[in-house]
Amino acid sequence: MTEPSNNTTHFGFKSVPKEQKVAMVADVFHSVAAKYDIMNDVMSMGIHRLWKRFTIDCSGVRPGQQVLDLAGGTGDITALFSKRVGPTGKVVLADINESMLNVGRDKLRDLGLVTNIEFVQANAEALPFADNSFDIVSIGFGLRNVTDKDAALRSIFRVLKPGGRLLVLEFSKPQSEVLSKAYDLYSFRILPFMGQLIANDKESYQYLAESIRMHPDQETLKQMMQDAGFAEVSYHNLTGGIVALHRGYKF
Amino acid sequence: MLPLLPQLVCALAEQLSRKAIALDPACQPKLRQLQGTQLGFALKELKLTLVISAGTDSLLFNQHDEAVDCRISTDLASLRLLGDPSQLTRLIKSDALQIEGDLQLAQQYANFLQQLNPDWQGALAGYVGDAATHKLVRLLQQLQSYCSLKWQQLQQSQVELVQDELKLTPVRAEYELFSQDLSKLTGRVELLRRQLQQVQESECV
Repeated sequence: MTEPSNNTTHFGFKSVPKEQKVAMVADVFHSVAAKYDIMNDVMSMGIHRLWKRFTIDCSGVRPGQQVLDLAGGTGDITALFSKRVGPTGKVVLADINESMLNVGRDKLRDLGLVTNIEFVQANAEALPFADNSFDIVSIGFGLRNVTDKDAALRSIFRVLKPGGRLLVLEFSKPQSEVLSKAYDLYSFRILPFMGQLIANDKESYQYLAESIRMHPDQETLKQMMQDAGFAEVSYHNLTGGIVALHRGYKF
Repeated sequence: MLPLLPQLVCALAEQLSRKAIALDPACQPKLRQLQGTQLGFALKELKLTLVISAGTDSLLFNQHDEAVDCRISTDLASLRLLGDPSQLTRLIKSDALQIEGDLQLAQQYANFLQQLNPDWQGALAGYVGDAATHKLVRLLQQLQSYCSLKWQQLQQSQVELVQDELKLTPVRAEYELFSQDLSKLTGRVELLRRQLQQVQESECV
């Protein structure tokens, strides 16, 4: 593992030039897009669906609201939001990766969710939306892939309406030592093997495991959200801290 | 409570409601009337609020404590009494039931659920055929009748047992009379014992 300098950033355990990370992450997701959902179900034994439901529960979403599902990928969180905001509301599914966006668009159309969803290819660091546009912004398992997380959090803060809230669902640091060791074994031994077996792509899932370890822990991310301007920032550890949901408000 | 259990229950309830609503096309207009509303249902023992709202093809279930259009709070003991309208006023007065917000909305959701009549027999027939479905339905009806009969018999037995026990149990006046008789008898036995003791003492002298 190498420490990043001013012009470099993490890509898993590697240190790469900042301008290259977007393309490298894009390659990973172009590669896994087609098998993304099935791999999520297999890797988490389906629990990712409950983590996403917990995110919706913490969002306080109401009919008629405007929601941005950032790094929305294959649209799981968008689907949950779409049903809840109803025909008078709107959900924008934004992702930087075209392949993921295409998979998400097809899946949501197959589910019959079309009337209140828009699809936007966008970089979280520079969101192409007007100030104060959304009641809720969620980013599920996406922030760790963003090159400049602080810029992304500031950009999200800008597009949120006053009183709106940000929900960051992301892998985090397990709270127990035993769980942490078991999780390491699973992530670095079993996960790449499963990636090879199901998606024929060991490297992408090796990157997934490494990127999770390089992502800020619960307290660090909380501080980053506060630094970006969010108030009343709190987090819930899920499944022993393997995943954490951070929530912050714009006042 | 297990973490994420409420989310699992909500997900299952949502799936179930989607399937039930799909099997009852007549309920769609009523579902549309509920769209845009949220009903909260809190159980004091579980310390969580189940929020029900209406989607386009299912009821949506969530668990949170945010503001809703109508919120019902009650406890497990009072839960089974909610179906009896004559009990509602008593429950509210005794603080066992609290309703905040639009009461009519709660009634609309209750009506929707009561009137939901999914054609599950038709759906089942698609898998196992009409004959097997008919047999299964008859079996279930017989089972339901049997359980209903046994339940009535059990309740009747309980009533009779209590009544028999009441018949056997002495009333207050009977008990008091018995106590008085017993006191008198005790007095007479004591008198007799003393007399016997005196006779024995005189014989010894």
